[in-house]
Amino acid sequence: MRKFAARLLQLDRRFIFVLMSVVTVLPLLYPLGLPVRISPETQQLYDTLERLPERSVVLLSLDYDPASKPELYPMTVSLLRHAFARNLRVVALTLWPAGTSMAESAITHGAEEAGKKDGTDYVFLGYGPGEANAIISLGQGLTNAFPTDYAGRKTETLPVLAGVRSLRDIDYAISLSAGFPGLDTWYVYGKEKYGFELGGGCTAVSAPKFYPLLQTGQINGLLGGLRGAAEYETLLNQSGKATAGMDAQSATHFLIIGLIMVCNVCYLLGGRKG
Amino acid sequence: MRFWQQTLPILITFVFGLALVLQYYVPHPASENFLQEISLWSQIIAGFAIVLGVGSLLSSHSKKIVRQESGWGYSAVLFVSMLTVFGAGLWAEGKSEGTFFGWLYDYVLVALQGTMFSLLAFFVASAAYRAFRARTLEATILLSAAVLVMAGRVPLGESLLPGVGALADWIMTVPNTAAQRGILIGVSLGAIATSIKIIFGIERAYLGGGDDA
Repeated sequence: MRKFAARLLQLDRRFIFVLMSVVTVLPLLYPLGLPVRISPETQQLYDTLERLPERSVVLLSLDYDPASKPELYPMTVSLLRHAFARNLRVVALTLWPAGTSMAESAITHGAEEAGKKDGTDYVFLGYGPGEANAIISLGQGLTNAFPTDYAGRKTETLPVLAGVRSLRDIDYAISLSAGFPGLDTWYVYGKEKYGFELGGGCTAVSAPKFYPLLQTGQINGLLGGLRGAAEYETLLNQSGKATAGMDAQSATHFLIIGLIMVCNVCYLLGGRKG
Repeated sequence: MRFWQQTLPILITFVFGLALVLQYYVPHPASENFLQEISLWSQIIAGFAIVLGVGSLLSSHSKKIVRQESGWGYSAVLFVSMLTVFGAGLWAEGKSEGTFFGWLYDYVLVALQGTMFSLLAFFVASAAYRAFRARTLEATILLSAAVLVMAGRVPLGESLLPGVGALADWIMTVPNTAAQRGILIGVSLGAIATSIKIIFGIERAYLGGGDDA
């Protein structure tokens, strides 16, 4: 038995890789459609958007690049759908240079789907260089920070930005962040100084670090990883890529739990060696 | 020489560091205008830093190619990739919709970055199998918390094990928040201490130059 346990502990990693592939692909082909429970932090973000009066200004900072697309892009799609359905004005930008094309594509497609007009209902400002400085610059004056939008139009003439001179005039800001600069940068350099409401979304791996900010009300809502995106899709009654991916995530989590259990049983049977 | 390489940078750091700390507490319009001007300057400098970074990257890789050092082929790939994307971006005037630049972004960059990130899942599974063992009490607690959060954060876990979702939420909002807050306070105090040392010229590593700095 000890020999068997010891051999199992030396399992070829390629076997684990194959198992991982199978449990990822199978649920995508044959979805279980298990219900997703809504967490309080997702509900809070949804409720904040629900409470905003029509034509309020929502700033959406898409601070991620293609590496985090599977987790953060579905959030972007859902938030845009919600904001446009509530007839809110959307001001989008990114602090990540590699995220510019993806951000533009997300907002353009979201607006087309909702029948919204560029420059009147939404604007994409493009990439803001300088990380935290881009936020401070926006706080001091939006038209100074972005004299033109991504399409090259003068921002001071755009109807969507009527009455919006700086971050102080933003009703709600949401940063979907995959790292730095991201949600914490927006909190430290933006919300703290310019006093707007802030919510966010992040990859699952970085979600734990935002819980202190959530508890103190420094951010008032959080979408954590694919799960957060799936919860938001559930709240909107619009199943999308995040909901579809939850079954695969369930299966992979349970595979890892199973592997941890097997390895620990083998470790104990093998006399705590290896 | 010493003045240009050390004294002047330290003086600039001291003046602007102190001025920006004080600015935060002064809401006078002149102070706000100063911040606005500084933030615009910082963005311009950041833009030039990208040019400097790209220049430095190309310079170091061109040396590798010329000397045909080990792995010079990868440097050549970097050159070709960078120049192709740069050329495509200029040609498309930065627009991605319906351009070759957009095609490169959608079908090369997105695919490559997605692949790199998704590899993590495979390595996490393999690493968990090899390293996540209940060797000590602390390791057992960590392992139990990880298993509960992994089960409680997915619909399958909540369906199979009623209550595990609430338990995972508790772990995230109580022990995790407490630990994260401790880390946050520690990191912030460290950042304040380092900033003070930089402003007053005690910490000079950012000047470079090894022992001379």
